[in-house]
Amino acid sequence: MNTRRRWLERGLRSTDVQEVLALVIMLVLIMLLMSQASNLFLTPRNLTNLLMDTTTVGIIAVFSTMLMISRGLDLSVAAAAAFCGILIGRMQETNGLWAGAVVAIGAGGLIGLINGFLVTYVGINPLITTLGMLSMLRGLAFVLSDGLTIPVFDLTGQRMDEYLAFAQLAEGRAAGIPYPILIMLGLFLIGLIVLRSTSYGRALYAIGGNEEASVLAGLSVKRYRMTAYILSGISAALAGILLTARLYAADPRAAPNIELTVITAVVLGGTSLSGGQGNLFGTLLGVLIIGALLNGLKLQSVSTEMQNIAQGLVLMLAVAIDQVRQGRVMFGLGTLRRWVQRKSTG
Amino acid sequence: MADTPLLEMQHISKSFFGVKVLDDVPLTLYPGEVLALLGENGAGKSTLIKILNGDYQRDTGDILIEGRPVAINEPRDAEMLGIRMIYQELHYAPDLSVMENLLVGSLPRRRGRAGRFFIDWKEARRFTTESLKLLDVSIPPDALMRDLTVVERQIVEIVKSLSREARIIVMDEPTAALTPPEVDRLFQIVERLRCQNVAIIYISHRLDEIFRVAQRLMVLRDGRHVATRRVDEVTPAELVELMVGRKIEERIPSSADSAGSQPVALEVSGLTKQGAFEDIGFTIRRGEILGIFGLLGSGQFNLTRAIFGAEKADRGIIRVEGRAYTIAHPQEGKNAGIGFVPVDRKVNGLVLGLSVRKNVTLSNWRNLVRAGFFRQGLERQHTQHWIEQLEVRITGDMEVPVRFLSGGNQQKVILARWLEANVKVLVLNEPTWGVDVGARADIYDQLEQLAERGLAILIVSSDIQEILSISHRILTIYKGRLTGEFSRAEASKERLLQAAAGGGS
Repeated sequence: MNTRRRWLERGLRSTDVQEVLALVIMLVLIMLLMSQASNLFLTPRNLTNLLMDTTTVGIIAVFSTMLMISRGLDLSVAAAAAFCGILIGRMQETNGLWAGAVVAIGAGGLIGLINGFLVTYVGINPLITTLGMLSMLRGLAFVLSDGLTIPVFDLTGQRMDEYLAFAQLAEGRAAGIPYPILIMLGLFLIGLIVLRSTSYGRALYAIGGNEEASVLAGLSVKRYRMTAYILSGISAALAGILLTARLYAADPRAAPNIELTVITAVVLGGTSLSGGQGNLFGTLLGVLIIGALLNGLKLQSVSTEMQNIAQGLVLMLAVAIDQVRQGRVMFGLGTLRRWVQRKSTG
Repeated sequence: MADTPLLEMQHISKSFFGVKVLDDVPLTLYPGEVLALLGENGAGKSTLIKILNGDYQRDTGDILIEGRPVAINEPRDAEMLGIRMIYQELHYAPDLSVMENLLVGSLPRRRGRAGRFFIDWKEARRFTTESLKLLDVSIPPDALMRDLTVVERQIVEIVKSLSREARIIVMDEPTAALTPPEVDRLFQIVERLRCQNVAIIYISHRLDEIFRVAQRLMVLRDGRHVATRRVDEVTPAELVELMVGRKIEERIPSSADSAGSQPVALEVSGLTKQGAFEDIGFTIRRGEILGIFGLLGSGQFNLTRAIFGAEKADRGIIRVEGRAYTIAHPQEGKNAGIGFVPVDRKVNGLVLGLSVRKNVTLSNWRNLVRAGFFRQGLERQHTQHWIEQLEVRITGDMEVPVRFLSGGNQQKVILARWLEANVKVLVLNEPTWGVDVGARADIYDQLEQLAERGLAILIVSSDIQEILSISHRILTIYKGRLTGEFSRAEASKERLLQAAAGGGS
């Protein structure tokens, strides 16, 4: 009995390491495959592009991971990012870009607050709540922009400095690395520390692992939950701001399907849809894997539609892996063997 | 007793991950007998049963039915041989009616060529009512499972397994959620089944039941067969010794005479919640263990939840060490100095996936966190302290997920959590449900030591033996009202049962 337990325990502790390793191998394989398919893939320029393309997903994924560890879910992130971009676009002339950015962050927080309130206090299922929010925000973004892309650059030539500074958010580099990539990596690092060694991180794991037990242990479950949703909203706003700076434009269609990419990356990275487990190493690898996949497909001139199909497949695969990991999938070789046995005996 | 055994299991061995959990275990079952299968958690009882039911494959050994070897590779094989399982956890569809649950997969169809597409509800109703009559109960066939009490659901489950031709029935802790009269009723049914030559394997932690219902018993320990005896050949004490492998003395609760002069730790007065409990008032002094005895469904769990804040009471006053608190949320209960151990610790008490350390410190981070960050050395130190104090046995270290601890040790982890939170009053609901005999005594000892150190302890239990063996003072609850108060000297099984059944004191 004892040795058996010890075996389980060791198995469990090495699981994280094993999973991260599996993801690294997956990433390397995809990169090998893509570099075989195109000799452009491994160029520094393309790799920088690849990373830049992952920043929107990456920044949001940090906080989606935290949210999903606490058994939450936020589908409204991409719509929120687009909506926040439109806010900046609309406010650039009247109030200036920076005021727009501040309002955008505030709006992100408010969106998260509403999501969180509806989920924790009204008790609506997070999927439905944030799906509704997604629909509303996309709609609002279209209304505020009349369905058009709003250019975000200095049309009059009078506020050059402001616009240049804003564009620097996306184009500036430190030590040769673009700011958005640094911001993303910085957030991953902070998130890692928060999840690992703060009471906030501990609370998220506890709540996701067993909500009722956390309530009965006297944790303020609702407050932690709310915070996770608010942070998710703010991260979407931040991603929206960086995207706007990068594109010189605010597009109500911006960040298409990004909410799915985020969930794919998070689940692929080992965070369970049923909460209580997950880590940001995995999420980062998940983000990179999907980024490499999409980038490689793009280099092959694969259409957006086909990319969507590929991404949907990866999402389903990731969720299936999660189910197997949770031990929910019961069929297996045993069933097959018994079936054959039965057939052969009569 | 017939001469040819109905079921023989010979030399059954089973290993998981290279470790033997069953080692050369025999089992013989005669038609028309009740064989009690005993052993502590982890002794291999459930593995043996699962092999019989085809859930697991045996590594070696044979299964014979009426002398003929049979192949049981999956549950369907077992079912075809007339083997039925009644598990502890119930499997049912809460939003379907009683008859649908009872007849799941075999609902009667209407006559006629097109009739097979339609369900004959009239026949289903008739069949259900008649089947339930077997157990002498009247549950409306149309009622939703969700709306039944736990007990009624279990009855439906039992009837379900009986309604299909059964030769061997395995009952795994069938009485865990039943009240004494219902247990009586179940035993009558068992008796009736025996007369029909059905053989029953009966698993229970409640030894008194074994002596009432079984003819023979078989004890497993650490995956090995220890003994098979006729029930009338062993005494309860011998039986416990066989199970645990060492002597365990009869418990006599420690004296709490000194508690009389201690200050009151918890005072509850006029606590009322419509439809659950009414006008509850009592006090507990420091160092006192107060037991509340009630049959299941008497409102005792609503009461304790309300004291802790997990449920809202309509009115009433709760004082902890003289100070009145409004407690509408568990957090407020905790801050008032009350700790709460829920009925089902696996579902409500612990975060099973988190480590022992993280569970121990879950209720009080105040001293362990500086500026939001855990002081990990200190946290480990605190956890180690409680592991040693409460003698929590862990294979491995405090980083092991609580999931892998035994029931008794899990219970200790919850105790440790509240001690770490420095509570003054500890409220425990059914503290030893699903806990081994050996670990049970251990938990009682721990609780007594905690009381001696000044903790006020409230224990709610439907296990009369438990209440009698640990409480300094006993209250009885019936239909949400306190019906009696007994000192240790006054309390007896008969008096408690009478008061808890509404008979007054």
